[in-house]
Amino acid sequence: MEPSRLLLVLATLAFLGGVVHAVITLRAGRWHESRWHLLPMAVGFGFQSAFLYLRGQSHGRCPLTNQFEIFIFIGWSIVLLYFLVGTAFRLSLLGVFTAPLLTILQTIAMLSPLDTDIEPKGAVNAWKELHATVALVGYAAFALACITGIMFLLQDRMLKKHRINALFHQLPPIHDLASAIKRMVIVGLVLLTIGHLSSFMIKSPVPGLLHLMSWGVWTLYLVIAILMQRRTLTARHIAWLAVLGFAFPFISLWLIAR
Amino acid sequence: MLLCIGLNHRTTPIELRERLAFAEKTVPEAAKAIRQLPGFEESVVLSTCNRVEIYTSHGMETAAQQGLGALYDYLTSHFQLTEEQREALICYRLSAADAARHLFRVVSGLDSMVLGETEIFGQVKAAYKVALTTGTTGRSLNKLFQRAFNVGKQVRNETTIQRGSTSVGSVAVDLSEKIFGHLRDCHVLLIGAGEMSRTCAQSLLSRGAKSIFISNRSYDRAVELAREMKGEALQFDQWERAVHDVDIIISSTSAPHFVVTPELIEPVMKKRYGRPLFIIDIAVPRDVDPRVNDIEEVYLYDVDALQTIADEGRRERERALTKCEEIIEEQLRKFGYHDDAASSPVEVSSLPTPPLNLEL
Repeated sequence: MEPSRLLLVLATLAFLGGVVHAVITLRAGRWHESRWHLLPMAVGFGFQSAFLYLRGQSHGRCPLTNQFEIFIFIGWSIVLLYFLVGTAFRLSLLGVFTAPLLTILQTIAMLSPLDTDIEPKGAVNAWKELHATVALVGYAAFALACITGIMFLLQDRMLKKHRINALFHQLPPIHDLASAIKRMVIVGLVLLTIGHLSSFMIKSPVPGLLHLMSWGVWTLYLVIAILMQRRTLTARHIAWLAVLGFAFPFISLWLIAR
Repeated sequence: MLLCIGLNHRTTPIELRERLAFAEKTVPEAAKAIRQLPGFEESVVLSTCNRVEIYTSHGMETAAQQGLGALYDYLTSHFQLTEEQREALICYRLSAADAARHLFRVVSGLDSMVLGETEIFGQVKAAYKVALTTGTTGRSLNKLFQRAFNVGKQVRNETTIQRGSTSVGSVAVDLSEKIFGHLRDCHVLLIGAGEMSRTCAQSLLSRGAKSIFISNRSYDRAVELAREMKGEALQFDQWERAVHDVDIIISSTSAPHFVVTPELIEPVMKKRYGRPLFIIDIAVPRDVDPRVNDIEEVYLYDVDALQTIADEGRRERERALTKCEEIIEEQLRKFGYHDDAASSPVEVSSLPTPPLNLEL
């Protein structure tokens, strides 16, 4: 097996292992907050980083040349943000919700054929690199907002229906989840704005569909952010927007990368 | 040989327990005095509001009965108990594996008034630290207490003995924390001054709630309660205005109709800008229209809902008890007390009833 693909398989297995372990222990009511739950995420992140490093070495540039790499890069950014913002949450449980998304992303990526015939190094356009990487990290922030939104909706439902179970005890307070969604949307929007501003410095034309989709995503999250700031929506509506809204960047990326 | 003599909330009434409690500053001296008794090599004195226990290591393996008698005499003479008090005093006297098992159960919260509570862990740790600093511990007790702390941690990490709440008051606090995170910015409104609502409010204040408003049909009663809880009394016709400023409402009036309605809460929520509202309805008949729970960001719990959660918390802890006991027995074996070890030469004076006492 190609070394890059092997790394990817190992990363996916690490995330999948984390999900299976979490689901089994949560269902059995044996889940306890522990930093050991971070282990599968850390291992998966290590394999992802190694994969991106190998691909970066081959390309001589940031490995964002195809659908395969874009999905892995977004997955990698999600884990990175997860570790960075994790202190605001109960770390390990956010991982439980993040890992399934990572497993899906990586599986989609693995379905794509891995290009073995890598183009020789060309001149690297720094603005283009910046645009792509910052925008994709912004997308990762939207993904985390989506995951936090799911956690919010679950907690809201359990509080409303008086269903106090093992998961309820492990989920963070609903007020904190609402704040976290807002924070991740703002972080994503700021990063995407920086990415878009840097695109003005790119001399070579950006493909029309890519441009349109990217601005579409930016506009969607700008509207969500304005609605949040104007406090016209309830926290539950914002959570739904964060969850459903992520479908747009997710699908657009898939279309673009094809 | 390891010996333990003690009394707790199940063996001894509070009147006698407070008579036998060691003041904090006298504990080091007491530990020293016990160690100086003939045959005693080490000692740790644990004195809390619910228990007084002395753990010692005695040099003579076969003199357990004698050693425990000496500890009993020390206790009664130290506190100068009268003959009547001596007769009323029931102590448990434990040796070897029984003493170690008891300590493991104590640090795990299995012997506490509230099953699974964690405060006792810190109290035992503090008692051990005092003995360590005073120099009354040695190899045996150091090993025993270190093992006990590991057992306490293992029980906490591997079982659900501490999960959930077992009283209406603690359920209210836990739910508040699940909604607001911390309570330090939370304002509480008490409508009606019943006993259970008072207990809930006190639980919230003890967990850091910022302030409390109290409104009652009898304004004098509201003032009295406000003074007691360091809150603010409101005339009964003014409480609706306070709803805008509070995060938690506890209602327990004797009104025959709903006093908190969607028509009152809906406009309030529009001005709260996303801050949730937690309403606890303790009254029977209910004070809060159930339709209030349909409003976004409002979480309504009546007394039945709270009681159901508390009952489930109790069952959860009881279910975890077997697993806790297994952990303790396994750790006892690892500590060297095997099943086939010679049984204690001391007849264990009846240990209190199984520790299923839970919050009321």
